[in-house]
Amino acid sequence: MDSDDVVTTDGKENMSTEPPNLLIVDDSTAIRKILLRVLHQTGLPLGTVLEASDGREALKQMEGQNISLILSDINMPNMDGLELLRALRGSPLWHDLPVVMITTEGGQAQVQEAIELGATAYVRKPFSADLLRDKLATLLSK
Amino acid sequence: MTPEPVGAIGALPIEQMANMLFAATEEVFTSMLGVEIQKSAEPAPEQVGSFDGVIALIGLTGPVVGNGALMCSAEAACAMSSLLLSAELSNVDEQVLDALGEITNMIVGGFKNLLETHTGRLQMGIPSVIYGKNIATRDSKANVVVTAGCAFPGGKLDLKIHLAAARR
Repeated sequence: MDSDDVVTTDGKENMSTEPPNLLIVDDSTAIRKILLRVLHQTGLPLGTVLEASDGREALKQMEGQNISLILSDINMPNMDGLELLRALRGSPLWHDLPVVMITTEGGQAQVQEAIELGATAYVRKPFSADLLRDKLATLLSK
Repeated sequence: MTPEPVGAIGALPIEQMANMLFAATEEVFTSMLGVEIQKSAEPAPEQVGSFDGVIALIGLTGPVVGNGALMCSAEAACAMSSLLLSAELSNVDEQVLDALGEITNMIVGGFKNLLETHTGRLQMGIPSVIYGKNIATRDSKANVVVTAGCAFPGGKLDLKIHLAAARR
């Protein structure tokens, strides 16, 4: 892992001019609040920001929605973040959707697994809010 | 407690693991809570008597099994949660319990990431948080107990990691 604990692969460019709709997936309401705050601190226009507490709920929330970016934890009950990623990459509708994994799982094997499954970026918790804000600003402005 | 061989961590000194636990805690406080911590008196490896306050627990499994625990007073729990959420929280409610669970998740996760370089891949469960008075705990079947006592501007917290060899 690099020194700033963020690993990024090539994300698809968001060609839409509408403010992006986002989905935050984490079983901790505290982390969802922190991520929401960081997202607003990017200063970029945001559409609807949906929240889900696990992968299963995330898939339900996405039905009929035009989501541009997902921020997802890995360790969650019911359906974890890697299962969610696998489901998205297997879906014709969502297989190109940028997904940022934000997780305590920092081992090289876990990072590799997430990247191989198609994660756009991998951010380890605990994170620097400044670093995450910059990363999200870069992804959202593409 | 005298360490007994526990799989891949048998050769790892307790003091080194305690430093790993403190380092993981320090990173969470610095990055997410925005305050520095200091080492304080280490908790006894085994709980003596009852306890008033908050205990957050999270399981570990893999080549070694066990759990990580964070223990603190209600006041310290509110102080940590307030720092994490940039809010004024003075009662132990669902918000504070959730925040304590996440702080424990990050601390134990950080320790796990360091320990994995010695043990191979470990997996974590999801946190459970208990708040009450006269809480009695019993640490059973742990061959190794790693402890760290920490002080921060809002109070003190104790951390414990219990590890045992995985059953074959």
